[in-house]
Amino acid sequence: MRKMCIFLIMLLVLSSYAYGKDVINVLTTTEDLKSITEAIGGDKVRVDSLARGLQDPHFVDAKPSFMMKAKNADLFIRIGLELEIGYEDLIIDGSRNQKIRIGNPGHLDASEGVYLLEVPTTTKVDRSMGDVHPMGNPHYWLDPENVKIVARNITNRLSELSPEDTGYFQENLKTFDKKMDEKMIEWNKKMAPFKGEKIAIYHRSWPYFVDRFGLAIACELEPKPGIPPSPGHLKETIDIMKRDNIKIILMEVFYDEKPAQFVANQTGAKVVVVPNSVGGTKEAKDYFSLIDTIVDRITEGF
Amino acid sequence: MKKALIFLIIAFLFIPLAVTDARGNEVAQLQQEMAALRSQFSEMKMSYETRITQLETKIEDLQKIYSIRAEKPQIAPPVQPQSTSLGRYFQSFNPDVSVIGDFTYHTTDKKNEEFRNQFQMRQTELAFSASVDPYARGDFFFHVEQENGSWHIGLCEGYLTLLTLPIEGLQAKAGKFKVEFGKANKYHLHNLPWVDYPNMITNYFGEEGMSEPGVSASYLIPNPWNKYIELTGQVVNNSNGASFAGSDSKDLVYLGHLKTFFDLNEESTVELGSSLAAGSNNGGHGRFGKNMTTLEGVDLTYKWRPLQTGLYKSLALQNELLFSQKDRAYFDDGTDIIDGKRLNSWAAYSSLEYQFAKRWTAFGRYDFSEFPDYTKNRENAYSLGLTFAQSEYCLWRLQFKRTNRNFDKDENVVWLQCDFGLGPHRKHEY
Repeated sequence: MRKMCIFLIMLLVLSSYAYGKDVINVLTTTEDLKSITEAIGGDKVRVDSLARGLQDPHFVDAKPSFMMKAKNADLFIRIGLELEIGYEDLIIDGSRNQKIRIGNPGHLDASEGVYLLEVPTTTKVDRSMGDVHPMGNPHYWLDPENVKIVARNITNRLSELSPEDTGYFQENLKTFDKKMDEKMIEWNKKMAPFKGEKIAIYHRSWPYFVDRFGLAIACELEPKPGIPPSPGHLKETIDIMKRDNIKIILMEVFYDEKPAQFVANQTGAKVVVVPNSVGGTKEAKDYFSLIDTIVDRITEGF
Repeated sequence: MKKALIFLIIAFLFIPLAVTDARGNEVAQLQQEMAALRSQFSEMKMSYETRITQLETKIEDLQKIYSIRAEKPQIAPPVQPQSTSLGRYFQSFNPDVSVIGDFTYHTTDKKNEEFRNQFQMRQTELAFSASVDPYARGDFFFHVEQENGSWHIGLCEGYLTLLTLPIEGLQAKAGKFKVEFGKANKYHLHNLPWVDYPNMITNYFGEEGMSEPGVSASYLIPNPWNKYIELTGQVVNNSNGASFAGSDSKDLVYLGHLKTFFDLNEESTVELGSSLAAGSNNGGHGRFGKNMTTLEGVDLTYKWRPLQTGLYKSLALQNELLFSQKDRAYFDDGTDIIDGKRLNSWAAYSSLEYQFAKRWTAFGRYDFSEFPDYTKNRENAYSLGLTFAQSEYCLWRLQFKRTNRNFDKDENVVWLQCDFGLGPHRKHEY
């Protein structure tokens, strides 16, 4: 019995040291935020993500195992704009970790200061409009210029949590921004021939990307955000695509391809399936390769 | 003299040749230098031309970027997060308010059923949730139901959750809440995966499970594997009449629940729980001594949802088992009460749900249940159903249930259910 007690006490002590104190434990809601945090934090952070890039980031189960990840976090970073409304509160409450509650330094809304699109201008927002986000379209990470702002937000917060490493984080931010500027030139060069081209999309994940690279959205397969395609709406989509000679249907990896393929067969357009998050495909290993993948697949699709 | 003259003439003849040779060498040298200069110049020219071309390309690219930026009037100007969020924060001083309706039509071959062949607004839930202060949140759930022809409103749950206790991993609750016994007891009517509660719940805890005023403390037990292990202890009023004393009781029921949860992989999870509840029961009050009821429960839930196609496919297998030991008083010859008879009974259910399309889920459930007071009475029930989720906030469900009883006629029931919700109702636990 005594041995058993000693063993249990040792387990408890060991478990409390299982997570190292020398690095900042960061939990992000998406793999995009994880990739950016790793670029800024380098070896001073240990980062994990709740959602995987293959998943629809709107629908993530609040599993108790996620509460354990949140319990050990020093910093919780979310996309914000109510993208995580279905699971964030449950996970944070369940974690019993005060550091990461909203309002504390351990809670960062990455959307602070980003350029927002589709902020509702109507006096009333309700569910007759589908799954609208009252604070704006939350898919802002698909604009690389917004990601520079996110990287700066993360740098500032990591510096606040570990002031002695501020220089290190700032240096990493410089490197990140420089690479982003260089990649922007490369991506713009690749996308330049298609400037002004109209495309069809499945879900409104793409306005930020489309806007940044000079494309235009002609129609969506979803009749309203989050509402699955209906036969009547697909007919309208087909008419628009034929009229505007749309060549591409851009869609995420986690949606059913059948409605898109049906529309493609009717219109001669090509279905281009791309990841909208890091980890969505094997090639999209970090933020830069995510945009590389999207740009390459779109340019191949035209 | 003549020799000197000849020498001079020869010298004159050869000097120009020598001079010509020297000049020729110089010219050749100069030509070489010129060629070298030309090649250096052309190299420099090429290098500068290349650099100019590169710079021109860069300028062109930058111009494109800026022209794209300039040509996008649809981009909203940078929105200050404070200003975007400010309205939200002001709004958030009010609690999140939700209303959820549970509407049914049901038909049964049991002729004395109150709502037989009737439409019924079975329940309306009013939910209010908000942070109370930096240390706690509050949740209230009121149920409006029809009873004997008139409408009544009752408090299903209303509790304060203390989120910031000094001991890490500890959380506490005070108020009226659904007790932590197994899985199904905690469900509200509208978030059941079936139309009705399992027979185990209705027979051992009452029509909508056991919800009592009391206090609760739960602790996440630290462990080297960083797994979710939660231990909950609760003390609630002894006002549940199905297994315990009922509303006239002045004592308490004690509950314990241990829950472990682990991921088999990123797509599959297992939850294993064990529950214990103990308290005095009806027979133990007044002049007849203090008889006890003890309930033990085990629950096992397996869930699968693929990462990439999780919007369209999922599976849940949920099982619960309950054992009851109830000391009870019983009438002997209809005149006296004898204490001490212990009734052992048990109940269980097993449910399988399979989502086969974005909006469609099929389910089946098997129920076996005895009764806490009549162990010889048994029910076996078989349910099959189909759920159509119009959206996240509205579902339609059709369910057939056949119940075989050894103490009454068998019963066949068909329900059509519609659940719909307004407002930002907080999501339920996994």
